[in-house]
Amino acid sequence: MERGYWIRSKPLYDSLVWKQHATGHVVIAEGDGGIAVLKLFQQMCPREPIKLLFADDASASKKYADIITKLVPEGLQVCESGEAVLAALREQLPDCLMGTQFYVAGSEAFIWAVLDELKVFGVQDRNVEKELSGTLARSVYCVHCKTTDKNVHHSIHQCSGCGRHLFVRDHFSRRLGAYMGVMVDAEEPGNIPAAEEIYP
Amino acid sequence: MNMAKTIAFKQETFRDDYSYSNSAEAIRRFPFPFAEDEYMYSVNIEQHTPGAPGSVFEHAIDIDEHYLAECEDRRITLENDPGRYIALPHMMDAQWDMVELVMESLSRDYPDLFELTRDGDNWHWVNKPLGIDQKFVFGDESTLPMEPFEYVGRQVQGDWVVMDQRDDDLFADMGIITSQADWSLAFDAGMSFKEWHGPVPQANELGIFDRALKYLLHLQYGSPVRRLNWTMTVNPRLDTSPEEYPLWGPDNVSVTADNVGQKVHLRVELQALFRLPRSNAMAFSIRGYLASIDDLKTYPRWAKRLRRVLTNLHPDLSEYKGLDNYRQLVIDYLAPMDDGAELELGTHPE
Repeated sequence: MERGYWIRSKPLYDSLVWKQHATGHVVIAEGDGGIAVLKLFQQMCPREPIKLLFADDASASKKYADIITKLVPEGLQVCESGEAVLAALREQLPDCLMGTQFYVAGSEAFIWAVLDELKVFGVQDRNVEKELSGTLARSVYCVHCKTTDKNVHHSIHQCSGCGRHLFVRDHFSRRLGAYMGVMVDAEEPGNIPAAEEIYP
Repeated sequence: MNMAKTIAFKQETFRDDYSYSNSAEAIRRFPFPFAEDEYMYSVNIEQHTPGAPGSVFEHAIDIDEHYLAECEDRRITLENDPGRYIALPHMMDAQWDMVELVMESLSRDYPDLFELTRDGDNWHWVNKPLGIDQKFVFGDESTLPMEPFEYVGRQVQGDWVVMDQRDDDLFADMGIITSQADWSLAFDAGMSFKEWHGPVPQANELGIFDRALKYLLHLQYGSPVRRLNWTMTVNPRLDTSPEEYPLWGPDNVSVTADNVGQKVHLRVELQALFRLPRSNAMAFSIRGYLASIDDLKTYPRWAKRLRRVLTNLHPDLSEYKGLDNYRQLVIDYLAPMDDGAELELGTHPE
């Protein structure tokens, strides 16, 4: 967290709410995103066709696939993994109509992996409902060697690519789906602050 | 007056031995940015119309004595890290717009240095300082040795970002960035205007970006605008990128009372914005000028003004611009020159 000012590139995430005026709805979720899906389906469902792609995740606090299967009778596809969800999405996107509304829930890395798939079809991120669920873990892009490490929980992270200790900034790139990591001890080599878990 | 005949290009470096220096004439035309004793962000945009002969505002794209050395420094940086040039696939029209903007401007304003002959789409470009003589077909990428925007980007001083305009916003979808004040093109590419400027403190609170964006969305072809921005750099280094921070970071703590005059440089960016005709994109040029504290001290007015601005600077801005390690050393160094007398408004040297 950087002091003093709010960095506007840091995405804001909301709770999923059905949108009006759509030709169809596609819900894409993983792991703890399951709870966001359940909350969404407690709201009055829209009349247009709904598709739901979901996968449980080993690191999530709970398994949701069974509950979701009971509550969502139509249009549900339960996948083996987040990767499989992305693959299913890739396969089905060409059949989606103009005006389809998208809803994404899960870890931040998952959300932006989905957005990456949608972007290919011209879907802008501002038109996608996003709910961050379960973990605050960050993907961190090393600005020095261009490696992106996933599931970073600490304020200081040692890059798996170049071994430098990176300070994790709040500056976020939607294109890369990651926060910027900058060498923390460039000015005084070896002066590395203790890493604290701030993205549990 | 045509400056072109009088430019003596310097052989100098912006890295390693840092042999960069300014002639007396380069100091005199330095775009000193402080008209008052206090500095805070403002939109401060004005029409980019031709300024006084000899000034950095005389031409749309300024060429000065550092031209060859800056082009060479850019070549080295791109060779080490090709990611300093990015053009997203939908920007090809804008690439050709940039070819036209650069070649038209330079050949018009510096006819002794650059020549452009157009015969329909068959163009002939001559860049005498760099020894380039190129015939190509405008609109046909295969007739140039590299992508069109990279080709012309390597032949101008300063960084360029080209922003695509859609959904009432501007997206940084193309750029050639090798002399940036600590921001990363590879990271920021594709960002919207406000995301890209996300890390700038105070400016959001002042509503600067909302107003600037509203203004820029309506920028017209043929009516470019400009503003000045500034920061400070230790050593005359162009490539103060986050990518190379491990290289230049240690310099930030190397300033002492003895070397502050030579080491610390005021780095002024002449930022100009041009609407591009085919793509409706917007070219944003960020042309940097470096002057050491000793260079600036040539003019007592500037020495006093700079000392006062640094003394009054908001702590958030000082931190953001990375000045905290040496700001006080500069203030102390200039103190003997400041008699405290009131300075009239304006940026002029004398």
